[in-house]
Amino acid sequence: MSRALAPLQRDFLAGVEGDGPCAPGLEVYRRGVLENRIGALGAAYPVVRRLVGESFFREAAARYARAHPSISGDLNEFGDRMAAFLAAYPHAAALPYLADVARLEWAVHESLRAEDGVPVDFAGLAGRDPDHYAALRFALAPSVRCIASLHAIHALWCANQPGRDGTACHDVPERVLVWRRAGAVEMRVLDAGEWEFLDAVARGETLGACHEHFGDDLRFAGMLARHALDGVLGAVAE
Amino acid sequence: MVGIGLRAPHYAPLAHSRPPLGFLEVHSENYFAAGGPALAWLERFRRDYELSLHGVGLSLGSSDPLDERHLAKLAALVERTQPMLVSEHLCWSSIGGRHANDLLPLPFTEEAIGHVVARVQRVQERLARAILVENVSSYHAFAESTLPEERFVAEVVRRAGCRLLLDVNNVYVNARNHGFDPSAYLEALDPASVGEIHLGGHTQCDGMLVDTHGAPVCEAVWSLYEEALRRFGRQPTLVEWDTDIPALDVLLGEAERARAMQMVPAHQAMEATA
Repeated sequence: MSRALAPLQRDFLAGVEGDGPCAPGLEVYRRGVLENRIGALGAAYPVVRRLVGESFFREAAARYARAHPSISGDLNEFGDRMAAFLAAYPHAAALPYLADVARLEWAVHESLRAEDGVPVDFAGLAGRDPDHYAALRFALAPSVRCIASLHAIHALWCANQPGRDGTACHDVPERVLVWRRAGAVEMRVLDAGEWEFLDAVARGETLGACHEHFGDDLRFAGMLARHALDGVLGAVAE
Repeated sequence: MVGIGLRAPHYAPLAHSRPPLGFLEVHSENYFAAGGPALAWLERFRRDYELSLHGVGLSLGSSDPLDERHLAKLAALVERTQPMLVSEHLCWSSIGGRHANDLLPLPFTEEAIGHVVARVQRVQERLARAILVENVSSYHAFAESTLPEERFVAEVVRRAGCRLLLDVNNVYVNARNHGFDPSAYLEALDPASVGEIHLGGHTQCDGMLVDTHGAPVCEAVWSLYEEALRRFGRQPTLVEWDTDIPALDVLLGEAERARAMQMVPAHQAMEATA
């Protein structure tokens, strides 16, 4: 029977995504599609991959792909729900930190691709009346992501980079800042004050309101300068 | 003119050695990001080299509506990088909103020709330029097909007013997998329709040739390239190597071989008359 294009394509994709016996030709597509997906997830989640090992990762990736089919022609967008998937994945229950490590890795993945953003205009700020500083609103740079976890996800991430032995104590809560500086993604652990400050900036609060959370002038000035110089803060939005 | 596929492991060595190359080709989707280091590298290389954008995810042949969000990102990248060539694959990847993210085969029918032609025209309109479409390797033949592959490809290109990115390796792979004469395939194509040639490696798997882009170009494909040069002239030629990526020098060696073949006087004469 001759099928029109649309039903033919639906049948073919169902065959590619199926797991029953099939013709050798279809098997080539099945293998290719699966390898592409595992490759895309492995590129976005190298630390998760190392933490669970190759065969576990391949199985989890295959199940993820079935649970959350790709909906974009750009494979870089595939894998955005991996953290939620792993949080509910029964086989990963022995690794309570795994889902948060995945959140951190997706933050890195997004940060790498975020808009370049505009650095803080220090000359412009110097020309302003200091009395108006309290009314300023900064934007966070587009590459900024903040991830809080009950686990030491930054320590785990660092310990599982190539050449490291993977040893890390994981049961310490951490708040991690991910952002891009000079073209490369960086991350570091934030203290509670910095976390609140960046959260207030993200909510669009004025510098004056951010300062009030603090009280400690010297610490506030130091933190503000550091985040401005590091490129965590971006354009002044007034 | 010969180029190589630009892959991330080669960014640093290529920027360091800046070898003479006709162009660099990238997978368009790898530079769809709003910003960041990959795009910065691309813009840096664009200052030294001509560029070819080669899409792998537009799903030209799909029965789903054309993905305008994807097309808008491609248009933005074209605007940003002003490439010499823009190409897509003559295939489909998605149906019902689900993506296989792979190059799936079309049935060679009048219906499919009409469908793809309309979509190629929409893409050309959106990008305000002609594109090339590439013949893909395939591992499945649909009983619905009423035309041989080369007729299907030639008709799409003729009716859409686009050009053909002739992948010589894919012709060879399909000829072996589906049992046709690759030379007859080339002869069925309009000599003026080809605007770029791809060379790549394949691997053998369960009695079938699979287009993996993970191996050197084989001798039989080099011979077919020789035939293609005779028929289509000295078209921009790309050596693709996308998996198990070798050292840059290995890839440049393959490109050099293609360049030397283009230098044979008969092919230059062909270009002059094309």
